[in-house]
Amino acid sequence: MPLVVAKDLAKSYGKVIAVDGLDLTLDEGFVTGLIGPNGAGKTTTIKMTLGLLKPDRGYVEVFGQDPWDNTAIRSLIGVIYEKAFFPPHQKTLDYLKRVCRVFGVHESRALEVLELVNLEDASDRAIKALSAGMLQKFAIAHALIHRPKLVIADEMTANLDPQARSALLDLVLQLNKNEKVTFLLSSHILPELSRVCDSMAIINEGKVWAYGKLTELYEKYAVGIVRISTDNPEALASEIKKLNYIEELEIDPKGISVRVFEGKEEILYEDVPKLARKVKAKILGIETGSASLEELYRLVVGTKERK
Amino acid sequence: MGKGRPFLEVFSSALHEDYRFPILEIFVFLYTLGTFVFASFGAALSPQYLSSEAVAYTLTASLLGLPLFIFIILIFKNVAYGLGSDLEKGIIQTYFSYPLKRYRILTAKLLSALGIALILFLSIQISALYVLAPDVVSQYLGTVLLTYAATLSSSFLIAGIVLLVTLALKRGGLALVIGIVLFFGMSIIGNITIFVASSTGSPLALQIMSVISPNFVLSRYHYMTQPYVPLPSDLWIPTLSEVLLYTGASYVVVASLFFLGYVYFSRRLGL
Repeated sequence: MPLVVAKDLAKSYGKVIAVDGLDLTLDEGFVTGLIGPNGAGKTTTIKMTLGLLKPDRGYVEVFGQDPWDNTAIRSLIGVIYEKAFFPPHQKTLDYLKRVCRVFGVHESRALEVLELVNLEDASDRAIKALSAGMLQKFAIAHALIHRPKLVIADEMTANLDPQARSALLDLVLQLNKNEKVTFLLSSHILPELSRVCDSMAIINEGKVWAYGKLTELYEKYAVGIVRISTDNPEALASEIKKLNYIEELEIDPKGISVRVFEGKEEILYEDVPKLARKVKAKILGIETGSASLEELYRLVVGTKERK
Repeated sequence: MGKGRPFLEVFSSALHEDYRFPILEIFVFLYTLGTFVFASFGAALSPQYLSSEAVAYTLTASLLGLPLFIFIILIFKNVAYGLGSDLEKGIIQTYFSYPLKRYRILTAKLLSALGIALILFLSIQISALYVLAPDVVSQYLGTVLLTYAATLSSSFLIAGIVLLVTLALKRGGLALVIGIVLFFGMSIIGNITIFVASSTGSPLALQIMSVISPNFVLSRYHYMTQPYVPLPSDLWIPTLSEVLLYTGASYVVVASLFFLGYVYFSRRLGL
């Protein structure tokens, strides 16, 4: 059952088009990543999904309902904003107890969620006295207090140290597995998303450029990648670039990463040794590679831009 | 879960922020001090030739001086800074994730910003009046209440404008400045109105001003025969019905501003 359905969603700020005909369906039980460059429309999409902004065109439904000023669905959604703000002069545990009362949850849940994010030691501290990382943890605790079915997070791991990030990603996986919580996570940190997401929406220029299960996206976009290890990558790369079936080429510390047109991998395998001999480069290894999420993102954006 | 609980929690949270120690205590002290200090001046300055009803008006109006100014500062601070900074910093955004309608969130914020300040202000004012002049209050309760209604109307009017500016800009600093400028501007406009009315010989300017600030029509009603009022005594002699009409009209304007604020907050405000 889809929890979020967005159809032809559009939103502009004056002359700036933030979202332009975006379609997205978020299925129950998935951890979906929302990735895209700055200004792609991720935050605006999230805000319309949460009923904070009204679309100029199209519609979005959450749990089958319009999210604008809809109190019925708010008990089902947990929200984590990029910058979290709470009444600054209240103490963390006191405020969370207040939120428990707002949602009709037993007050013992307040300490429970603080422990979940390792913030129990700060239970007596005023919210304004929390560090940026602690405030982000507090926001996560706040979002989970009413055991939501859907968690929507915009840059959830911002301000967190590596250890806290890792713990949080484990928590996402645990909640998804044990309590069937669906997540929509917007982030720029792609390795983190690749660790927890099973589906991905790549958004750019206010539209979804690619969406689906990660395995399907890799099958569709990340084919024809060959990695070549060599002692002279610059010289060899300049020769490989001249081949007419090369779609994309990149030099990285590990060597050369080449993407060829469909079905041309074997021809590349034959051509590379010849070109290496020509430039006197030594081939250390050559293999058909799998793409990282970052590469997948670049491939999708590259493919779409060429179109 | 009842609908009342989330409302009460947001209201209580707003109270916690608007009146955290020692703001509430300081304002209670200032209200009390100002009320009694100005009351003794007012009583001493009441001309002997005024009617008893006009004396009741004079005494009530004299009590309002400094405490009214403090009241205005408090509500501007609460509306512009309290609501404005909540919008600016994203606390309202956090409240929007709670199972509570937008209009209820605004009501909770306004009840804290205006309601509590008004209860504090009026309770100290009326208690002081009972202590200082029990006969006046018991005999002329209608005059006392009408004086408060007419005098507070313009403060609510500016508060309504401050609310709209705060919502439109989503920040409180500029709204607070606009509110203070309007507050002082109102007395300048009042003087210009008197000048225009006396030079043109037409009461129209006075009548328009009375819709914005019905204290104009009320003071004209009580002091119309007094020699120190800088207007011809036959220029406009309002009746009690007219006083009530203009006071009512001013509250219709105030209610319209707040209604606009509610409509914008509930149906249009994007965060």
